[in-house]
Amino acid sequence: MGHGEKGRPSKRHKSSSKDEHKNPVVEDEDAYYGEEFEDDYRDGEKEGKKRDFTKLELKVDHSNRPLWACADGRIFLETFSPLYKQAYDFLIAIAEPVCRPESMHEYNLTPHSLYAAVSVGLETETIIAVLSKLSKTKLPKEMIDFIHASTANYGKVKLVLKKNRYFVESPFPEVLKTLLRDEVISRSRISHEGSTGNDGFTISKTVGEIEGRHDELINEAELAAAAEEKETHSFEVDPAQVENVKQRCLPNALNYPMLEEYDFRNDTVNPDLDMELKPQAQPRPYQEKSLSKMFGNGRARSGIIVLPCGAGKSLVGVSAACRIRKSCLCLATNAVSVDQWAFQFKLWSTIRDEQICRFTSDSKERFRGNAGVVVTTYNMVAFGGKRSEESEKIIEEIRNREWGLLLMDEVHVVPAHMFRKVISITKSHCKLGLTATLVREDERITDLNFLIGPKLYEANWLDLVKGGFIANVQCAEVWCPMTKEFFAEYLKKENSKKKQALYVMNPNKFRACEFLIRFHEQQRGDKIIVFADNLFALTEYAMKLRKPMIYGATSHVERTKILEAFKTHKDVNTIFLSKVGDNSIDIPEANVIIQISSHAGSRRQEAQRLGRILRAKGRLQDRLAGGKEEYNAFFYSLVSTDTQEMYYSTKRQQFLIDQGYSFKIITSLPPPDSGADLSYHRLDEQLALLGKVLSAGDDAVGLEQLDEDADDIALQKARRSVGSMSAMSGASGMVYMEYNTGRNKHGGQGQIKGKPKDPSKRHHLFKRRFG
Amino acid sequence: MPQVKIIAKNFMDMVASLPAMKLDALYHNTFICEAILRSLPPLAKKYILQMLYIDVPVTAKAMEEWVLADGFSKHRVAIDRLIQLRVFTETSDRKKETSYRLNPTFQTNLQKHLIYGGVLPREPMPSNITVRLPSLDDLEAYALGQWECFLLQLISSTQTEKLTNFSSSMMKVFQRGLLTQREKEAPRLTESGFQFLLMDTNAQLWYIMREYISNSEERGVDPADLISFLLELSFHVTGEAYNINTLTEFQRNTIKDLVDLGLVKLQQGRKESWFIPTKLATNLSMSLSDTSSRKQGFVVVETNFRLYAYSSSKLHCEILRLFSRVEYQLPNLIVGAITKESLYNAFENGITAEQIISFLQQNAHPRVAERTPAVPENVTDQIRLWETDLNRVETMPSHLYDEFPSRDVFEAACDFAREYGGLLWEDSKKMRLVVKAEIHLHMREYLRRPK
Repeated sequence: MGHGEKGRPSKRHKSSSKDEHKNPVVEDEDAYYGEEFEDDYRDGEKEGKKRDFTKLELKVDHSNRPLWACADGRIFLETFSPLYKQAYDFLIAIAEPVCRPESMHEYNLTPHSLYAAVSVGLETETIIAVLSKLSKTKLPKEMIDFIHASTANYGKVKLVLKKNRYFVESPFPEVLKTLLRDEVISRSRISHEGSTGNDGFTISKTVGEIEGRHDELINEAELAAAAEEKETHSFEVDPAQVENVKQRCLPNALNYPMLEEYDFRNDTVNPDLDMELKPQAQPRPYQEKSLSKMFGNGRARSGIIVLPCGAGKSLVGVSAACRIRKSCLCLATNAVSVDQWAFQFKLWSTIRDEQICRFTSDSKERFRGNAGVVVTTYNMVAFGGKRSEESEKIIEEIRNREWGLLLMDEVHVVPAHMFRKVISITKSHCKLGLTATLVREDERITDLNFLIGPKLYEANWLDLVKGGFIANVQCAEVWCPMTKEFFAEYLKKENSKKKQALYVMNPNKFRACEFLIRFHEQQRGDKIIVFADNLFALTEYAMKLRKPMIYGATSHVERTKILEAFKTHKDVNTIFLSKVGDNSIDIPEANVIIQISSHAGSRRQEAQRLGRILRAKGRLQDRLAGGKEEYNAFFYSLVSTDTQEMYYSTKRQQFLIDQGYSFKIITSLPPPDSGADLSYHRLDEQLALLGKVLSAGDDAVGLEQLDEDADDIALQKARRSVGSMSAMSGASGMVYMEYNTGRNKHGGQGQIKGKPKDPSKRHHLFKRRFG
Repeated sequence: MPQVKIIAKNFMDMVASLPAMKLDALYHNTFICEAILRSLPPLAKKYILQMLYIDVPVTAKAMEEWVLADGFSKHRVAIDRLIQLRVFTETSDRKKETSYRLNPTFQTNLQKHLIYGGVLPREPMPSNITVRLPSLDDLEAYALGQWECFLLQLISSTQTEKLTNFSSSMMKVFQRGLLTQREKEAPRLTESGFQFLLMDTNAQLWYIMREYISNSEERGVDPADLISFLLELSFHVTGEAYNINTLTEFQRNTIKDLVDLGLVKLQQGRKESWFIPTKLATNLSMSLSDTSSRKQGFVVVETNFRLYAYSSSKLHCEILRLFSRVEYQLPNLIVGAITKESLYNAFENGITAEQIISFLQQNAHPRVAERTPAVPENVTDQIRLWETDLNRVETMPSHLYDEFPSRDVFEAACDFAREYGGLLWEDSKKMRLVVKAEIHLHMREYLRRPK
């Protein structure tokens, strides 16, 4: 891991040095570096370099202390230690969780995690003191040095919006002096006469951190220091220059990345929004905790909160908006989730209908009054093409308004350039990102640290399961042997483009799927979602089994109708979803997922899909360990054995496995004594199916084609990593649509880059766009 | 006739496999008589005590009347074992009626032992001479340390810091069967070598002692002497000091080897030196089944295939390395991951999934041992599946036929083979077919038959 980290900063510099408005083509190029980088890094890990830290000195009372810390930043935590809870809260603040199963957790100290730590108010010396107190061994010198080096600059400078004036604030006057030596910053400074302090800095006092949970671990002197009010120095900067000042402070320049804080209580310029949480909205302990991280010092910090799907992210978002009580811009990934967010606002808060509005291609509402909540999609804001007059007006309003809170949903799916764009278009005092899975296959998650802010809180999935807050899911991987005929075709060279279709359409897989649907519908009365990335398979399966399906081309109206039927109708118990259903579509009724095909090795997709059924159902006491419904949610991933799918499957599950989930392997479905009544029982039926797969065009059997789904950013992301440079030329800022015939990771990077796109198809799209 | 197959599992099996002469000679030592008695199944013990003062043979029939019908199988086992150890001698009279009597040497010695009690040939030394005696815990740690050191040297001589006194030829004897030793090649553990490492300490000790005893003749030592000394040793008191001068020369030489194995600890005073038997020595006469004093487990396996071993032992690390990828070594923790690659490596070396799983289960850390299952089910399932994945190809002897004179003959041959259920593969284009070996003769005959 250590060497992985070393490589990363340089990459980050490269990407963050990019001009905000540079065209996204270059961004994409960068994405490739990201991927290559990740691959190398994985391989490096595979070598299994042994790390020998046996020479570390063990403390005499080591058995009472909960963790080991290694020189390379890895930390092991015993969950059965009496100090576990305190140690967990502390580690989650300073380190990145690697895996959190039952008995032993692993964490990594990284520059970013330490950045997050200092930004929530932990100081270098506190981090080291607590860590060495918890450690079974003497802290390795390398780790102490690493903490010093990583925190030297981070968290020292804050950008604070007070009464609509921007201040650069720091408890260290010498840091401010360093900043002012920079030409850009010194030019942006607004000087006042009569300011106090030797350097002309304004000196004020800020309240120390309210929460003091780590304090019990620190000795008393430090405790006293933490509770004391702190003296801070600040100077004011020109609001027009704020973006430039921020740029100068990024790691590639002065390397004092600024934390953004919003002193909303003292903001008298922006009108208050009259809304508060309804009394029945009771945040759960972990939701409270995440909010306390955000509002720890009485101001609102920008940052990211990570909660598993179904754990109530929307309540956290709504609560944050209710605390700030200013206008709020809420960004979601697609129109369906826009509706859902608007609903959540109305459900949890006392907001009046006319104060909240949705802005999508279908509904262009505007709120009345001087403050309100706008819910829209990333695409609507970032869209660079021609808009209708009405949209133009609304977007103008969004641009001109000063938002108290920019609430961003599913931040892990949004490409970095889209973020830059959104953030540069909208002026907001505080940004809150919400996500369930802070993993991205391109490992560019770290960009979010600087675009939005550090990770403020991350919940432990298993703890939430134990607490009964999210469903306890039984995960299973079902091994479906390829039939002889399908496998023979699979192995043929000329079918290389049909490989995916062949293993997805494997009759044994179909039968396993049919069996599971029958079992859960009839025996348990469950609601089932079947996921397929492969559109050909999706259609075949859904038609054959006569079930409704939703994919990219399904209109918003139809989607809503199908989902409504699924929710309410007792005869509609199974729906088929393409990857449009991965994110944000809230289907709380479902408790079974069957996945028949997926996007290669995407760990995020797997976690997101699992998230569709995480919302806890039934009575709490039944769900807890030992209750009669200990497992009431099921996640099946069907894989055809001996195909690429097996390899991907292992990769995909990694995130969930790291969260403590385990996949049970089922090898014989349908059971040998049954299945005669399932489809494709006879060889001739199987051969007919094979013929169908083979005769379909290569395009038809590939991954889903994404043209109609303009508002789904998840899809863009997938495209982005495959897109070729040439395809992007000449239209910066556009929302691009491309056709994607399956991405072959084995083919090597070069091949992907060079793969020519079918130009005829792109044309059609451009025509559509430019009318 | 004895029906139990001799598998030299423990000391008594070893004893039982000695030639009759040696065995009879052994019974002159009262301690051996007692050790034998202790090792026997309960019913056999009862028979000995019952017949201890009977000087005439007892008929098998009479004995059979002692047992209830459902205890008959236990009765057979007991009798067989007694005959095997030559504690019972079997005689048949003219009417072909079998009767048993106790081995006279055994009988008199055991009688003596009962009346006078056992007296060791040597007394513990008075405590004023031996002020520096180690505590029992220290002694146990010492014993296990020695044993581990020996094992490490056994499996990879490069890893050890201090070497044992065993001559390289003796070491080779121990390694025989555990390591492959080819010229110019680093020795590799064999299948049984892996199994050996995964066994518990007592079982391992037995394996080594067995090799040690069976090799004794080559070293000019009488195996019976050696066995009797070892058994005698097991009657000494753990942690007491015994003067080394009370030993014969052969015993003194042997004790040096036993130090290396951790069976005894040697200490030297100003004038005298003494040996202190450890638990390993006093446990020698115990049979394997009653190793109730299990070591505490140390391994935690998580659902994500990560493995945490609370151990600072190099040997444990080496053992874990056999089937997992060791990633971190900390002062008292070894962190590893069970991966497909690491398991394939283990399978290739002949180690089985069951062995790995039972090792993980037997050595489960107390934290997880009480949980059922101690090793997560998904991990054990996966280990087994990976193993079966490797065994999907079956080989069977078969015969290939080609160069058929005509398509008719080829097709007729195919039909014929199909009829016999022996057609494995056919290629009608090139007119070739493969049949099971067992129908080859029929097939040949059929093809030779004039049409």
